[in-house]
Amino acid sequence: MAYAYLFKYIIIGDTGVGKSCLLLQFTDKRFQPVHDLTIGVEFGARMITIDGKQIKLQIWDTAGQEAFRSITRSYYRGAAGALLVYDITRRDTFNHLTTWLEDARQHSNSNMVIMLIGNKSDLESRREVKKEEGEAFAREHGLVFMETSAKTAANVEEAFINTAKEIYEKIQEGVFDINNEANGIKIGPQHSAAGGASGAGGAGAGGAAGGGCC
Amino acid sequence: MDFLKSGLKTVLGAPEPGQTPSAGETVERLVERVEHSTLLEDRRDACRALKAMSRKYRVEVGAQGMNTLKQVLELDRADNETINYALDTLSNIMSPSQFEEEEDNPNVPMNIGEQFTEMFIKDHNNIQLVLDLLDEYDFRVRLSAVQLLTSLLTNRPKDIQEIILVKPMGVSKMMDLLSDTREVIRNETLLLLIKLTKGNANIQKIVAFENAFDRLFEIVSSEGYSEGGIIVEDCLLLMLNLLKNNSSNIHFFKEGSYIQKMLPMFDATDDGEELGWSPQKVSNVHCMLQIVRTLVSPSNSAQLLASCQKIMKYAGLLDALCSILMASGVPADILTETINTVGEAVRGDVTNQDFLGNVMAPSNPPRPAIVVLLMSMVNEKQPFSLRCAVLYCFQCYLYRNEAGQASLVQTLLPSSGDATALTSGQLLCGGLFSSDALSNWFSAAALMHALADNPTQKEQLLRVLLASNIGSSPQSLLQLCTQLLQHSTKMQVKVSQLLDALSNWFSAAALMHALADNPTQKEQLLRVLLASNIGSSPQSLLQLCTQLLQHSTKMQVKVALLMLLSQWMSHCPAAVSAFLKVPGGVGYLVNQTCSNDHDDNEYLLQGLSAFLLSICIHFNDDSVENYSKDSLKQLLLKRIGMETFTAKLSEVTKHESYNKAAKHPQLRVKSPAEIMIDYEFCRLFKSLESVITQSLAVKQENGVADSGSDRGSPAGDSLLQYKTLIRQQDARLHELTAQLDALLQRNQQLQSALNDATASNSHLKDENTLLKAQVSAVNSLPNQSQQVPREDVKVKEHEARIQELTAEVSRLGQELVTSREAHKMAADELEKLRKDQDDLLELLADQDAKLNEYKMRLMSLGQAVEEAPSDQNLT
Ligand SMILES: Nc1nc2c(ncn2[C@@H]2O[C@H](COP(=O)(O)OP(=O)(O)O)[C@@H](O)[C@H]2O)c(=O)[nH]1
Ligand SMILES: [Mg+2]
Repeated sequence: MAYAYLFKYIIIGDTGVGKSCLLLQFTDKRFQPVHDLTIGVEFGARMITIDGKQIKLQIWDTAGQEAFRSITRSYYRGAAGALLVYDITRRDTFNHLTTWLEDARQHSNSNMVIMLIGNKSDLESRREVKKEEGEAFAREHGLVFMETSAKTAANVEEAFINTAKEIYEKIQEGVFDINNEANGIKIGPQHSAAGGASGAGGAGAGGAAGGGCC
Repeated sequence: MDFLKSGLKTVLGAPEPGQTPSAGETVERLVERVEHSTLLEDRRDACRALKAMSRKYRVEVGAQGMNTLKQVLELDRADNETINYALDTLSNIMSPSQFEEEEDNPNVPMNIGEQFTEMFIKDHNNIQLVLDLLDEYDFRVRLSAVQLLTSLLTNRPKDIQEIILVKPMGVSKMMDLLSDTREVIRNETLLLLIKLTKGNANIQKIVAFENAFDRLFEIVSSEGYSEGGIIVEDCLLLMLNLLKNNSSNIHFFKEGSYIQKMLPMFDATDDGEELGWSPQKVSNVHCMLQIVRTLVSPSNSAQLLASCQKIMKYAGLLDALCSILMASGVPADILTETINTVGEAVRGDVTNQDFLGNVMAPSNPPRPAIVVLLMSMVNEKQPFSLRCAVLYCFQCYLYRNEAGQASLVQTLLPSSGDATALTSGQLLCGGLFSSDALSNWFSAAALMHALADNPTQKEQLLRVLLASNIGSSPQSLLQLCTQLLQHSTKMQVKVSQLLDALSNWFSAAALMHALADNPTQKEQLLRVLLASNIGSSPQSLLQLCTQLLQHSTKMQVKVALLMLLSQWMSHCPAAVSAFLKVPGGVGYLVNQTCSNDHDDNEYLLQGLSAFLLSICIHFNDDSVENYSKDSLKQLLLKRIGMETFTAKLSEVTKHESYNKAAKHPQLRVKSPAEIMIDYEFCRLFKSLESVITQSLAVKQENGVADSGSDRGSPAGDSLLQYKTLIRQQDARLHELTAQLDALLQRNQQLQSALNDATASNSHLKDENTLLKAQVSAVNSLPNQSQQVPREDVKVKEHEARIQELTAEVSRLGQELVTSREAHKMAADELEKLRKDQDDLLELLADQDAKLNEYKMRLMSLGQAVEEAPSDQNLT
């Protein structure tokens, strides 16, 4: 399928926060309650549209466990965007954000867009981390923030698409060197190659799914 | 050597007079110099000398110099030349291969390189040192570092992979070198990456993430794709490593539209055709085919596999592969691999299968590619691996392809017209009865795939063949015999072109087989045919198979036919009954099963016979008088015995060939002699084994005099009692459920009748009310006196009508009451039955628990308990 740009993402965060579910919800539009533990890294892809342009997202879902931390580090350098995920029902996953962020900043290129995500917003009754806390952390570290639910799909589209928008803007501003593939950005092939049967079709930016959690 | 000595002299100064120093001493002094000399030049010279000695005296250099050399890597980074010597020396002492110089040195152990590697990597920092040197732009240093890493990986791949994986940017650094403009470095890096990625999924994913596929396709295309040199092969080998068993990378490959990028690799429009293929091109294309096969390997997840197949079709890759199939001048091993590849690219995908089915070979007359392939399969002269590939491709073509299976069987219909056209079915039947054991085997296996999971085709094959016989006249059989005796050397292809009646053709094929084999069989077969003419009972394919089975002396033929018959007869009582009618068929199976020959292959044959026999029992519809289900069971008990029977049956899965075949759909054998069991048969066997054992186990209790039940332990008895009880209850339960169903249905009928009655009742009531109102309206008009008489008549009429209607209403009311009562009774009955059923179910559960308890008790008493069949019966 022809695309104008290709962005590479990684999804990071403690194990069990819902990284794999977020990816599955985004690529296949489904939720799988019992999910295999991610070993190493798993790949997923989808096409989106921003500003009338087709953008291909290639997403690497990483394993959160300490044992795989060094493997995850190999992916920072080549990624244009990162989704840093915590679980709003588990404070420890929020507390570990600093470590994740340090790791990401140390190994990634300085322009990488990081989106902070508080996942499982559907579990309001078990909430341990207030939305304001997430917002404050994001503000403090210069991240974009959103609460999502991989289960109800609330804000999932937005999380991935807004990250892409942010990258797209940086390209327009000339911040990214798009000719350097190490930045996790590729310009699409000019000709239209034959397309595969990739999961869900393209989705318009700014879908109408419910806003953040109350 | 002289050069070396003089070189050493300059480094070490003159030797002690009167004696030359030993190698060990020389090394010691060199190492000392590297370590302690403050002059860079001195250290550099000593390093150079160590490098020179390291090929012949690597034990000495390694043992004494390893630590010092590591130091050099750390401390002398400023001097590329010194670093380079140190790297090369380390490379030499850890080299996985033996040097010419050390061939006559008995002191060098075989795995010396590996031992030194182990020492070197004990400190993970050493690897980091070498990795850091990759950043050095200097040509020599970079190249030596790459080569050293390659050596290390060759010696201890797993360890080094794990170390590199945890080094930040370890893999990324190597990937960067793939873009080095100096080709030597790029090429050496390719070799390094091939070693690095071998069998490590995490590294493979990182390498893919680092845009490896883009780089590799760039190189491959710039080198001219399949026409390129060994560098193309290296690129493809690396790609293969990245994809093999790595679904994440396959997904990435697919999503990155790399499948489309493979198309130019298979460009068959090649004008250098007459020149033949260079060995390098053969290797290149072979690798490309491997890559395609990795993407559509049957072991991949179904979803991924299906989408890769779709893209291959869509992007024209399948088309290109089929063109190679039909092109001329393609080397045999490439052709073989292409056949395998095409098979996997279509397996289970109906669109792709149709595509393949419609490919025509540029032959004269044009024939379907499938037919041409099958011609090779049943042709003894074709290479063995090619014939295996065709079978696999054919199997893939038929896999989950009901239309394909049907059209194959269709080609055996007499009505399929054009008798001169050669069809798949004819080829297979020809192969089945040819004199070449392998052809028999291949054809039987191929026919099996046409029947797999397809009950319709099983019956169809049976029916079609029997029907086709009707048209054949006895004369033509005789004519045929004469003709064939005259042309005994003609191939079946020719014969098939001569004749249109299929029975003739089959007989012909069978006859030819007999003729080619030996004179005894010739006579025998002649007699069979003549006899069949007199009695005018036509020969069916199944009969012929069975006879061939009885008379063949070749293991492979017997195995093939047993597999084919198993496939055919399973789930097909009609086929079972046809088999049972063949004289001697059952006897043959019983004798085979009882046979006491000791040999792995004989065991297999016994097991397969037992399997077919149990299929005869399990799928028996009692239509053959002498071989009803029960009588066969008795026969089995008396002649074979339950224990022997199960033991024989289990021989099948013990056979090496079964276990090999079960692993993968593709036949993986090296020589024709190894061919025995087919993958599809393993599937069948697995699916039926337990069912059959169970159905025979039930039998065991019926057979009173059976050796199994006369063990006579009380626990066994009561177990038996319980089983009987359960079976009785099961029957009762079935009865009750049936009753319940009937009642429910009756109830429903009543209910709807009641509804109808109520509806018409209320309708009548409305009408009645209306009429009453009309009457009172009429009555309230007394002033219209002159009209009274007429009105009176009208009123009378109305009154009569009202009376009528009231009667109707009360009748309907009555009816309603009775239906209500009937309904209530039905409901009560239903309720009662439900309760009965519940009670029974409870009782059953109770008995089940008890049964289990007894089983446990039995087991604790050390008694072997077979899986009770009761579970099955309950459902
Ligand atoms: N209720 C709820 N459960 C979720 C959500 N996202 C993930 N989960 C559950 O959280 C568990 C871990 O999810 P997974 O995606 O494997 O986490 P990962 O280790 O970060 O990849 C699974 O049991 C999911 O079903 C969510 O948005 N809402
Ligand atoms: Mg996960």
